[in-house]
Amino acid sequence: MEHEIYRFPRGRLDALVERLGREFRVVAPVKKADQHVWEEVRPGAPIALDYPTTMLPPRQFFAPQREVLFRFTGSDGLYRFEEPPVERPLALLGVHGCDLTGLRVMRSFHESSCRDRVVTDRLDQSFVVGLACWVPCLAEAFCRDMGSLENEIPADLYLWDLGETLLVKVLKPRGRAVLADVSALEAATADELVLLRRRVRARHEAFPTHLKFPPAKLPVALEAAEADILWDANADRCLSCGRCNLVCPTCTCFDVQDIATLDGSSGSRVRSWHGCQLPGFSKVAGGHDFRPTRTQQLRYRIFRKGKYMPERYGMVGCTGCGRCHKHCPTHISIRDIFRQVGGPA
Amino acid sequence: MAQVSMIPEPCRILEVHRETAKEVHFVLEAPKQAPFQPEPGQFVMVSLPGIGEAPISLAGLPGEGTAENAIELLVRKAGRLTTLVTRLAVGDTLYVRGPYGRRVGWEQFEGSNLLLIAGGLGLAPLRPFVRRALLRRDQFRHIDILAGARSPEELLFRDELLAWKARRDDVRVLVTVDAASDGWGGRIGVITTLFDNVHPDTEDAVAVICGPPVMYRHAIRKLLAMGFYENRVWLTLERRMKCGIGLCGNCQMSGLYLCQQGPLFSYREVRHLKEAV
Repeated sequence: MEHEIYRFPRGRLDALVERLGREFRVVAPVKKADQHVWEEVRPGAPIALDYPTTMLPPRQFFAPQREVLFRFTGSDGLYRFEEPPVERPLALLGVHGCDLTGLRVMRSFHESSCRDRVVTDRLDQSFVVGLACWVPCLAEAFCRDMGSLENEIPADLYLWDLGETLLVKVLKPRGRAVLADVSALEAATADELVLLRRRVRARHEAFPTHLKFPPAKLPVALEAAEADILWDANADRCLSCGRCNLVCPTCTCFDVQDIATLDGSSGSRVRSWHGCQLPGFSKVAGGHDFRPTRTQQLRYRIFRKGKYMPERYGMVGCTGCGRCHKHCPTHISIRDIFRQVGGPA
Repeated sequence: MAQVSMIPEPCRILEVHRETAKEVHFVLEAPKQAPFQPEPGQFVMVSLPGIGEAPISLAGLPGEGTAENAIELLVRKAGRLTTLVTRLAVGDTLYVRGPYGRRVGWEQFEGSNLLLIAGGLGLAPLRPFVRRALLRRDQFRHIDILAGARSPEELLFRDELLAWKARRDDVRVLVTVDAASDGWGGRIGVITTLFDNVHPDTEDAVAVICGPPVMYRHAIRKLLAMGFYENRVWLTLERRMKCGIGLCGNCQMSGLYLCQQGPLFSYREVRHLKEAV
């Protein structure tokens, strides 16, 4: 089925924010100092549709860095528990293909074995406006190799910024409903569709390929390279800082801690982001560490993304966004590792 | 809010037994909100609000040597939470959720010979296996229990080991310590030195092992040499766990989540994994 593609007057962006704001907490990329960040916006906010990849992916809104699981109040060792109220659902405006893929991976993870309803509800209820990329926003990215560049799922609406005009594709009925509230649903002209096709084709020159094999081959390629010296070579540079975990759109691991008042009469059990590259992640009571070396830890991270996640959840856990490479203080590159395990072309 | 809630239930402590200098054995009410029907090898998440939460193996199951509606736990003083837990008394409340972990199915353990091998704290998770096997004694021909401890002072469930030992015709109990102190009249040596005394018929035999990581490799090698089948040697593995329900990622071992696919595995399932122990 041909998707409906409409013109979207740039001036109606504020109306879209206003419309979404009636139902949702709207977040969009905004420039802050020398960076772009995802931030809650209101009509009139300077939304930067030309933003390069943010340091933190949108997962921060679905599985926040710190989140109260429940609060407790009590005394003499007897407590009552209360779960936090459900917040307003989210609308994300201007999500690049890599981060759309990140949301898909997140869903595939949370739909497996044990459903984390807090997170799946947020994903289900969120309204997502995707945004096409024309040029790689990070030198470290390899989104085209990982199938993220063209990915439009799970967007409700998908935007192409053609300079003069914005075109918008309707992917879900509720996307059309929202769009109809803020614009006249004027179909894109034949000239505009030709221009769109040309721009989409030309995009392939801007996004070179880095891998000589499809991501589906990663599990087998990694398994074959398990004993390779490349793990040591990369681990030698690793500082165990965990930045790669924090900026990853598909990392989900968390720690749980209790935060209480001095007298212990009230407090909350809080989960916060954890990372497999941080020291102590795999240490048990008594001090035994099941994955004590950096080589093991680094290989585990890459295997989780490229082998364990596809085998368990059906989707490769790397979106090709390039964040872990860009923000690594010693520039450990998951793209280079994937390229190496793939063997010579 | 998670489909499986992470809110625990208050469970009153019914009995406290100080087993050793570091380990305390609790009998407490079982959680009541949902049917609580754990299997041997499963665990619960135990917490004190304001302090924290940790996974603890079930050392006694409701109605199986333990009162109906009660469970047993053995807690070793290791960190802040467990230190505070070991100070609790009868009438105090522990917060519990579970049971978690794979339900292996008791038929996996039926066979003519059952061999249970416990090193140190490993006797606690193996205790439900012993108790169920003794309750269903007619399912087995021979039952052998091998228990090891570093020293006589660290030996757990001494009275119960003696009681099992007294059932001479039913079960054979062999105990050894790595290093003896004055007054110890029993065996001295690592646990694998006991293996030669096990009933030699391994054709239809099942072994379950729980102990410190260092024990596994030696014990498994010896069992296989004795003729045990790989899929009939069961191991309980250990990992850090923060949720118990397959979300927090701390317990992931290669592609497996210990809290869901384990912590009980057959050797065949995990033998190829490098970071199992």
